[in-house]
Amino acid sequence: MGQTLVYGFLNGALYGIIALGIALVFGVMRYLNLAQGSLIILGAYGILFLFHIGIDPFASMPLIAFLLFLLGGALFKVSFSRLIMLPETGRIKNSLLISFGLMLLIDNLATLLWTGDERSITPTYSGLTLGLFGLRFPLIGCVGVLSALVIIVALHTFLARTYFGKSIMAVSQDYEAASLLGVNVNFICLVSFAISVGLASIPSVLIGLKSFSPTVGIQWFNKGIIVVMLSGIGNINGVFPAGLLLGIMEAISVYIFGAPYREVTGLVVFVLVMVLFPKGLFKRQEL
Amino acid sequence: MRLKAWISFCLAILLFALLPAVIRSEYLLNLLLMFFLYVIVAQSWNLLGGFTGQVSLGHSAFFGTGALITRLLWTAGVPIVPALIAGSLSSVVLAVLVGVPCLRMRSAYFPIGTLALAMIAQITVANLFPLPGSLSSGYLTGYSMLSRYYLALVVAVLTVAVVYWIVRSRTGLALVGIRDDEAAAEAMGVRTFKHKVFALMVSSLLVGLGGGIFAYHQVSYYYYAPFELSWSFLPTLTTFIGGLGTITGPILGAACFLGLSELFAISLGEVHLVVFAATFILVVLFVPGGLMSISARINNFTMKLMRRIPGNPADHGADP
Repeated sequence: MGQTLVYGFLNGALYGIIALGIALVFGVMRYLNLAQGSLIILGAYGILFLFHIGIDPFASMPLIAFLLFLLGGALFKVSFSRLIMLPETGRIKNSLLISFGLMLLIDNLATLLWTGDERSITPTYSGLTLGLFGLRFPLIGCVGVLSALVIIVALHTFLARTYFGKSIMAVSQDYEAASLLGVNVNFICLVSFAISVGLASIPSVLIGLKSFSPTVGIQWFNKGIIVVMLSGIGNINGVFPAGLLLGIMEAISVYIFGAPYREVTGLVVFVLVMVLFPKGLFKRQEL
Repeated sequence: MRLKAWISFCLAILLFALLPAVIRSEYLLNLLLMFFLYVIVAQSWNLLGGFTGQVSLGHSAFFGTGALITRLLWTAGVPIVPALIAGSLSSVVLAVLVGVPCLRMRSAYFPIGTLALAMIAQITVANLFPLPGSLSSGYLTGYSMLSRYYLALVVAVLTVAVVYWIVRSRTGLALVGIRDDEAAAEAMGVRTFKHKVFALMVSSLLVGLGGGIFAYHQVSYYYYAPFELSWSFLPTLTTFIGGLGTITGPILGAACFLGLSELFAISLGEVHLVVFAATFILVVLFVPGGLMSISARINNFTMKLMRRIPGNPADHGADP
């Protein structure tokens, strides 16, 4: 039981990081990026390629982050920027449709390029575990939790302390008022979209070290969107606890119902939360 | 114009009904049957997604339920038509049990909610029925392609007719009102929630019939195959590309999808999906009316050109 909870906790941290990218875009622009999972998988293929050349996955992460950042900017410029003038419902709906097409595009391109086989990045340290209190902690999972904490603190500092971050928060709170006060809204949206896609590089590494194939993007997106819904829309600070909550809930459900229904638990919780608490569980202030 | 559409619709049915007398190739009949199946799925999706504005990514759950129940009943010895009806009714039951809560969500989240449901259904069925269902030898000896073909044709015609009839009626007007402006429709006295539930029920009934056809047609498949998410993505893609909220659009989209997939099937696996996904993005961004609106756009354009030529009859069309 304790061991299951440890795994749930470590998975939960991963869900938290995945959700971060989705939550950022959703909070700032009310865009729902269904393709986030596929972008993560795309990043994982990039890391796998660099690994075959001989670069350590964690070392290649910044490069992949930068490339995904550029890709995100390009995607926004080409497609998503056209929706910025729509009202909120229209933005959610249309961004969902566009990213749905994008997801299919990336998934099928990846299948064509790298076949549908399941891949995995296997550096020498991938199987190591730390023993603590008689429980096993996989090294990579621990690194995942650490990187999640670092990224969340960094993002929070960026949003709360820097001028640019404050303009992002301003846009997410009131689009029109921000633009009246001289914030370049289009540029802010472009950068926050690019950042959110760049953030995909961290789960790219962590998922790459587990295993991945072109079609699993949607499943990871699902984890992310469940966490976003649990934490409350636009509430970036609630994402990490909500991720841990989901991870632990899944672990408990595995203990009770068995492993095959792990995915179902999260989805059922998701639907229930959407119907019963449309504002999320950790909602503090209106964004 | 209406008369012309009616005549061409009836002619098309007649043509499809007579085709098996000419075509002997199993491959072509199979292809046509898949076309009917895609039309059923896309058109029923269109009632909910195109006319009511509730984009559902969960149609695979309803399609799969129809297929599952029909298959189980049929292989247990029930004749196909009652089994088909039972299957589609069970998919309506599923829609009421789980789809209606999704309609309670804010409308923008409906696609995500239904997608979650489709995934729940897929995983659960894959766990409950891990083995493929094959037909026993008794069923195989009696297997005739023609009966499948005609059943699929009948259901496809029924689907198109039902959607057409609903859309032309007062209810259809209310549905389109909900799509265009839900608050305004509510203010005009339309019971929006009731109408959305109605559209969802009819849509799931029709798509459940489609699932039944799938179960009747396939000799052997994994029970979770009709639950796969591609059955949700297919109607979304084809309807958007063909023309959202038109009767002809989904049919056109289905034909394009099938044609493209056959074209690339010989060379490479999934190229048609790449092409379709890219087209889908372009359609959502630039051509909201899909293929159906393109001819109108070209007409508009040529009319503008004609107006520039002095002495052209199009110039004086408005004032005799």
